[in-house]
Amino acid sequence: MNKRYEIVTTGGILSTNPPLAVVYLEGVFPAAVSTGVKQVTQKDMTFVPMLLPIQTGTRVEFPNLDDTYHNIFSYSPTKRFDLGRYRPDERPIPSVMFDQPGLVVLRCDIHEHMRGLILVIGSPYFVLTDIEGRYRLEGLPAGDYKLKVWLDSRTTLERSIKLENGTTLGADFP
Amino acid sequence: MMLVVFAVTAASVILAQRNIATTVKRDLERQFQSDLAASHAIQQMRQAALAERSRALARKSRIHAALEDDALDLLYPSAQDELLDVRENNPSQIETAGGKQIFHARFYRFLDGHGAVISPTDLRQAGALSTAEERQLALGTAPEKIQTGYLLRDARVGEEDMDEIIAIPIASTENGGPVGALVLGFRPIDVPVADNNSPTKSGIWVAGHLYLPGLDNSSREALAREVSDAITRSQYQEKSFPVDLNGQPFLGFYRQLNGGSGYPPAYEVGIYSLTDSLARQRRLLWQFTGVGVLLLAGAFVASHFLSVQLAVPVEKLAVDSEENRTQRARAEEALEVTHEELQRSARFSADASHQLKTPVTVLRAGLEELLAGETLTPEVRSEVSTLVHQTFRLTSVIEDLLLLSRMDAGRLKLDLSPVNLSQLIEGWLDDLDALPDPLSLNIETDFPADLFIEGEKRFTTLILQNLLENARKYNRTNGRISITVRTDDKWVHFSIGNTGHTIPDDAKDHVFQRFYRGVMGENLPGHGLGLNLARELARLHQGDLRLISSGNDWTEFELRFLLVRLTSEKSIRQP
Repeated sequence: MNKRYEIVTTGGILSTNPPLAVVYLEGVFPAAVSTGVKQVTQKDMTFVPMLLPIQTGTRVEFPNLDDTYHNIFSYSPTKRFDLGRYRPDERPIPSVMFDQPGLVVLRCDIHEHMRGLILVIGSPYFVLTDIEGRYRLEGLPAGDYKLKVWLDSRTTLERSIKLENGTTLGADFP
Repeated sequence: MMLVVFAVTAASVILAQRNIATTVKRDLERQFQSDLAASHAIQQMRQAALAERSRALARKSRIHAALEDDALDLLYPSAQDELLDVRENNPSQIETAGGKQIFHARFYRFLDGHGAVISPTDLRQAGALSTAEERQLALGTAPEKIQTGYLLRDARVGEEDMDEIIAIPIASTENGGPVGALVLGFRPIDVPVADNNSPTKSGIWVAGHLYLPGLDNSSREALAREVSDAITRSQYQEKSFPVDLNGQPFLGFYRQLNGGSGYPPAYEVGIYSLTDSLARQRRLLWQFTGVGVLLLAGAFVASHFLSVQLAVPVEKLAVDSEENRTQRARAEEALEVTHEELQRSARFSADASHQLKTPVTVLRAGLEELLAGETLTPEVRSEVSTLVHQTFRLTSVIEDLLLLSRMDAGRLKLDLSPVNLSQLIEGWLDDLDALPDPLSLNIETDFPADLFIEGEKRFTTLILQNLLENARKYNRTNGRISITVRTDDKWVHFSIGNTGHTIPDDAKDHVFQRFYRGVMGENLPGHGLGLNLARELARLHQGDLRLISSGNDWTEFELRFLLVRLTSEKSIRQP
């Protein structure tokens, strides 16, 4: 999870480098009672992790681990927020609740080059692939679903799948 | 001559006037360009400052976020703080030119990644524009370079108002590609900015509209039409042209301001009043004309004076020439008359001589026949003998006259050859010895032997006989005759002197005249032709005969002949 990669923009399309993908199951699931708190830290003038998939309703904290101010904000339609300037010792740690699915681009008003992505997913079943694109989703409920793969800010692949109890399904995307 | 002077002077005046007109026009254009350059410097300074501002703006995260993350509604609020000092919201700002703020925008707008205008939510901050005005700010695409243009503001009918617009690209911080643009609108910079009294006025022409403050509406519309025509006709991006506005002459000039811009082509239009310069040119023309007229007048007076000076001797020459001609004509006429008279006289002498010779010969023959008769008494025989002797004299006179008339008519041509003068003298001396000598003359001679002269012997003999006869005839008793011959390089000088009758001074000039016997006395034989004949013949020999002296019982003549130096090759014609 802490492997180093970066967010790149090509023709206005945000992706990771080296390329990572988020694989998740889309369907109708009972709302999560508590999804816990995730963190995206600012360390060495970068967001860590740069790409964070979370379930809708998850609160994300943005702890400042640098010795300077940061001003994390997002103008993304999924979630607009502006945490204002804060120092590393800011308490409580500034955080944002992400209550809609979609992509959120994180920026720092002070450090223009900083980019981070939070992919808010309306499903508890998601996983980040490794560099080779391998993934494994476990404990999935049986039923008919759509299996989706987020590749970049513009590209999400999907496939209908039928899951049965006690089985393992292989699904490869080109 | 006057025409040449006039042409040269006129050409000089015209050339000088044209030269000055060209110089004035060039000075005008230079001043014009200088005025325009001042405003361009301000525009460039402003653009440079704005470009830097826009670069800083494009780096702002919120601007990027608004443009890239579909949060255009947050664009203007995000830029508000950044552009606070760009807007002309403070009337007391100090950077003014012509009373206008030149570094502060009247409005600003953002263009999105497709070059379309993003309308602001708060017009107070971004500056109000009508929909039509806002539409003019759009570009086909987000620009990669700074674009300049002019915005036609909604104005009252018959008026024009424009703002200068500058579109500054906003580039992605990640890849440098354009994500939008910031368009700022400014009041145009009027030219001249420093001197309101300058004859230069400048403005902006866009799409048939002309914004030129300080020009009345009718002039502005007329100028706009002229510029539109000039731009349509010419492919040049800049050009100067003459134009009349309200009857006043101007020098117009246009130059494209925004070549390569995505906004409609805009031209800077300048006019320069020619009223003063034309007045100056007219003044100069008058001055030149005045100088030219003075020059011509001077040249006229000078040339007239010169021609008068030159004409005096020429006229005198003409008069003299006329007189000479008249005199010559008269002389020729007289000569002709003389010649004719001479011819007539010579012809008469010749005719008379020929006519006389025959009867004299007949007379002599008759008389000689009478003498031969036996019937004559001694007294009658003596008388007849005297008459025969007279016929010989008469024949001699007739022959002399005949010879003279031939010479007068130019018909006597000598057949020249070497003649032995010494021999001739000796022959005569021998003859003299045979004659009676009543005067007991003493003859002295001094001449070299075999002295040759150029002549024809019978005529040379005649000359010598005449002179020797005279020397004997006019001598006195116990008198003396001296004959001397000497030579020089060319001539033989034969001198003959004799005692006896001398020639009076007043007669000396006439002794060579025909029939002149002067004071010689009628009792001496002769008919007044001898000396004349001798001289004429001497001259025919290319020599001469002249009287050396006469007085104190001594008269001396000198005869001159051409000397002949005989060589072995030359032969002597013997008589």
